[in-house]
Parts: sequence; structure tokens; C-alpha cells
Amino acid sequence: MQGLVGQTLRNRKALAGLVLLAIIVLAAVLAPLLTEYQPLQRIGRPHQAPSAEHWLGTTRLGQDVFAQLLYGARTSLLVGFAAGILITIVGTITGLAGGYFGGKVDAAINVAANTVLVVPNLPLLLVLAAFIGQAGPLVIVLILSATSWAWGCRVTRAQTLAVRTKEFIQASEIGGESRWRIVFIEILPNLASIVMINLIGSIIFAVVTEATLEFLGLGNPQTVSWGMILYNAQNTSALTVGAWWEVLAPCIGLALLGTALSLVNNAIDEVSNPRLRAGLALRRWKLRRRQIEGAR
Amino acid sequence: MRFVVQRLSYYCLAFLVAATVNFMLPRMMPGDPVEMMFARGNMRLPPESIQALRATFGFVDGPLWEQYLRYLKSIVTGDLGLSVKYFPSEVWPILSRACVWTLLLVGCATFVAFLIGTLTGTIAAWRRGTWFDVTVSIGSIVLPALPPVVLALVTLFVLGTTLNLFPLGYAYDPALDPGFNWTFISSVISHAAMPVIAVALVWVGGFASTTRNSMIGVLGEDYMVMAEAKGLSRNRVMFAYGLRNAMLPSITNLAIVIGQVFAGSLVTEVVFNYPGLGNTLYQAILARDYPLIQGQLLIMTFAMLSANFLADIAYLIADPRLRVR
Repeated sequence: MQGLVGQTLRNRKALAGLVLLAIIVLAAVLAPLLTEYQPLQRIGRPHQAPSAEHWLGTTRLGQDVFAQLLYGARTSLLVGFAAGILITIVGTITGLAGGYFGGKVDAAINVAANTVLVVPNLPLLLVLAAFIGQAGPLVIVLILSATSWAWGCRVTRAQTLAVRTKEFIQASEIGGESRWRIVFIEILPNLASIVMINLIGSIIFAVVTEATLEFLGLGNPQTVSWGMILYNAQNTSALTVGAWWEVLAPCIGLALLGTALSLVNNAIDEVSNPRLRAGLALRRWKLRRRQIEGAR
Repeated sequence: MRFVVQRLSYYCLAFLVAATVNFMLPRMMPGDPVEMMFARGNMRLPPESIQALRATFGFVDGPLWEQYLRYLKSIVTGDLGLSVKYFPSEVWPILSRACVWTLLLVGCATFVAFLIGTLTGTIAAWRRGTWFDVTVSIGSIVLPALPPVVLALVTLFVLGTTLNLFPLGYAYDPALDPGFNWTFISSVISHAAMPVIAVALVWVGGFASTTRNSMIGVLGEDYMVMAEAKGLSRNRVMFAYGLRNAMLPSITNLAIVIGQVFAGSLVTEVVFNYPGLGNTLYQAILARDYPLIQGQLLIMTFAMLSANFLADIAYLIADPRLRVR
């Protein structure tokens, strides 16, 4: 576990991703210090272009886009991390339980997971959000978690099946340890990389999906978030009237957050699965190449 | 054979679960769905017509299980009821018309993404360490992390409103009559260009990185050295010996991705006002058109299950070990 963290931190991609993530988190936390405006306050004329006074221009309603971007990051991060953590907890526990206990528990979990997996996720989310009506951030977190835990469950279960036959598990079983202790203390640490990849993947998914739901107008219009900026921009035809700043600002925010998380994910993947690292195969290839060139 | 039956029965179960969720959703909501639909539409109807409409939309009186059985029967017979938004049009023809546009969009986008991704991935693996490889590697990390809505809006901004290269909405020029002639077809192509690009951008990175990784593995194999030692041309070694073997994981990837491409095309269709399934669902949700929403969800589930089943069959053909069991 510590090895995984240490190696990941030494990876250049991970470092770049974490620094980027830290900048976004800091910008969200320090929003009141970075801008004097409130996100929903009318502070200027409608659709002003970016200037020294309003760094990213204003919206149709004369609100400061930079302030909306900073405060909106809070919602995106909060929903992303909350939903990501919840999805991972549900997926990991069901996966561990199914993989370790087997039998009827496993069969039931497996049927549930596979069903959730094949029902198209986004349309179902849209319909749920539409029926609930003006979903606030908390509702979005809950429906995201309810419909998206299955992938993590499947992956965790497969890995649990592989680990449970190892000698050290049998040793603790013979030693009479409780089953849940075996699951959480003996098996779980061996799945650290899978849990981390599941977590970060789920956060990316939650951020993207929250923005999509709100862009489509299914969120609560009182929330300040990146998806909501996009929704308002689309509603006021910002692109057609040339107010590109209103659309591009949240797009860049979403792109940077996605990239940061994806870099970290990629790095964990490389560290935990050395076969993915191009280096080994490359070295072998170069060696062969030198042999051929030597023979010529 | 046992494998096929097992998977098939499993998909039937999954479909039944989805259909049940679909049945329960509007009934769990507070208020009478039919009255709510018409209240939103600002339509005033006498009570007896509302009663008749309720029957047409499947909200008949009676115990829940009776409604449920009736609902299942209507699914089997393909009778999805009437749309509220496009009243008195039936749900089924609306969806089948939209389905054509979505299939066109998703099909073209997947093809373009697969082609470009595989090609750039192969070349990147072949020229490891060059600027081209670095660009492809970074691109294949960044692109899949971008929300489809961001890619669609940026495409619309760059190619549509700034460069004015393509028309901004609809599937073809509304002034034209659909027909099999060049004016109509070219109009369809130019209207499809931006949505196809936007959807393809989401997936191209995944194909590129899969191909690059597996190609680098293949490059170390003995037969590659052999092919090169025989003095074959570089392109022949790269494509006929390398890519042919390195493509297998990409094909697996393709099967997994197709279902997700459908979901990704949803928001793209809304951004470009493209008349496919996604846009229809969006319009239906805005109008609280429950019959249309329900029909849509069923069709999308069915499409997804069919894609999964086809992928299973493809694995069966590719992997003989599955056939023995």
C-alpha cells in the first residue's frame, strides 16, 4: 500500500496530475479571496467581453463568469468526490462480499451488478432526474451512486477471487479469524490499486455526468456549477451572439479537472501493472534491433 | 450452445428488470401522470376525454399487477402507445425515425474514431519517443477525460460559429425534400460532419492508446524481427505483421465501446440539434412526455443488450475455449 503511494508519487504523470488537481481545489476553496464578486450577483452589463475588471467577461444576466467558474468548481468537486467515494464504497464492499463469501450471496450480487451494467446508464439517469425534477447536488450524488457501482463491483470481485485462494488467506482462516476481518484486513490491502483506479474513474464519471445533467437543464437552476453555466449559456444562445467566454470558461475547467484525474489514474495503472509500462517491451525490442544491426 | 442460451436468458432477465423499473417510475411519482402531462401542456380537456386518454396511454384503473401484465403485453406486441408532445402520433414511428439518424451518427463516428485511433496508435508505437508519439500519448490521456458536452461545444464554437464550415443544426436542410439525389445527400453529410467529429473525438484516444500499447508488445515478437530480416518493406511489416496482431484488443474494445457511444451521442445530438434518439429523449423529458420517454428507454436498453449479445457471439467465434464448455 505504502509502496503504491510512493511509486505513484515518483511518477511524472501522477505528479503533474496532482499539482493540477491541487490548483483547482485551491481555487475552489479560496474563491472568496480570488474574486470580489458573488456568482449570482448582477455586477455589470450583459455579455461584456473579458477585461481587466471582469477577467472572463459577464453572462447574459451581467454576472461575473470568473466568479461563477470559481464557485462552480466547488459544486463540481463536491459532487464528483462524494459520488466517486460512494460509488467506490458500494462497488468495493459488494465485490469483496461476492468474491469472498461465494454461494448465494455471490449469485445475488452478480445478477444485480450485471443487470445494472447492461441497462444504459445515462438515459436512465436522465429519466430519473427528470421524474425527480430539478435535482440538487445531493440528489445527483445519490442517483449517480445507485446506477454506477456495478463496474467496480465486477472488477473487485474478480480480483478477490484471485486473492482468496492464496496461502495467507487460508492460514488466517485456519487461525479462526472472523470472516469480515479477513475480508477487510487481509484481502482489501491487496486490492489497493484497483480500489484507487475505481475511485478516480468514478470521480471522473461523476464530474462529467453531473455537468451533462445540468447542461440538459435537469439540475436545480439555483446551484452554481460548471454544468449550470453551460446550461445558462446555451439558453441565452451565448455562442450565437459571440459570447464565447461564457461557454469556454466552464469547458476549460472541466477539461483541466478531467485531465488531472486522468493523469493520476494512468500513473496508478502503470505503477500497479508493470506490463502496461512501455519500457520493458521497448528495451527488449531495442536489444533485438541491435542484434539484427550487428548481424548485418 | 449452452453458453449462448445462458447469456440469452440472462439478457431477457435484465430486460425484464429494466422494463419493470420503467413501469414503476411514473407510478411512483406524486400526482396523476396524465393530468400532470396535460397541465404542463396547458391543454384543457373534458374529464371523459382524459379518461379515454389515460386508457390509450396505458394508465388504466385496476390493481397494480393487472396494469403490469397489460404493460408487458403491450411491450411484446410492440404497441408503445401515443406520444403527448407529438399527439396524436404514435411513439413507435417517432422513435424509428430518430433511430436512423442516431445509427448514422454513431456508426460514422465509431468508424472514424477506430480508423484514426488505430492508425495514429500504430505509427506512434513505430516511432516511439518522437514528437508524434508524445502528442498521441498525451492526446490519448486528455481526450477521453473530456466530457462529451465540452467536446461538442468546442467543436461547435471552432468549426461552426468561428470558421463557419458547417451548418449549425438539423440533419439536413429543411428546404430540401428527402430523396436519393446528390443535393440531399451532400446536405446530410455536411450537417452530420460536426456531430460525427464531436462524438469521434471522445473515442479516438481510447483506440489510439489501446493500439499503441499492444503494438509495442507485438514489436518485440520474433516474427517481427523475422519479417524485418527478410527485407520486407516497412509498411508491410508495420501493418501486415504488426497491426494485424496488435488489433485484437482494439476489436474487443470496439464491442465494449459501442454501447457507451450511444450514451455519448446523446448530449452531442442536443448541442447540434440533431434529430436522433438522444435529442428525442431530451425533448420528451422537457415536455414530460412519459410514453415517449418510456418507449425510448426500452429501445435503448434493447439496443444495448443486443450489442452485448453480439459481442458475446464475437468472443465465441474468436475464443475456441468458450465453445468447449
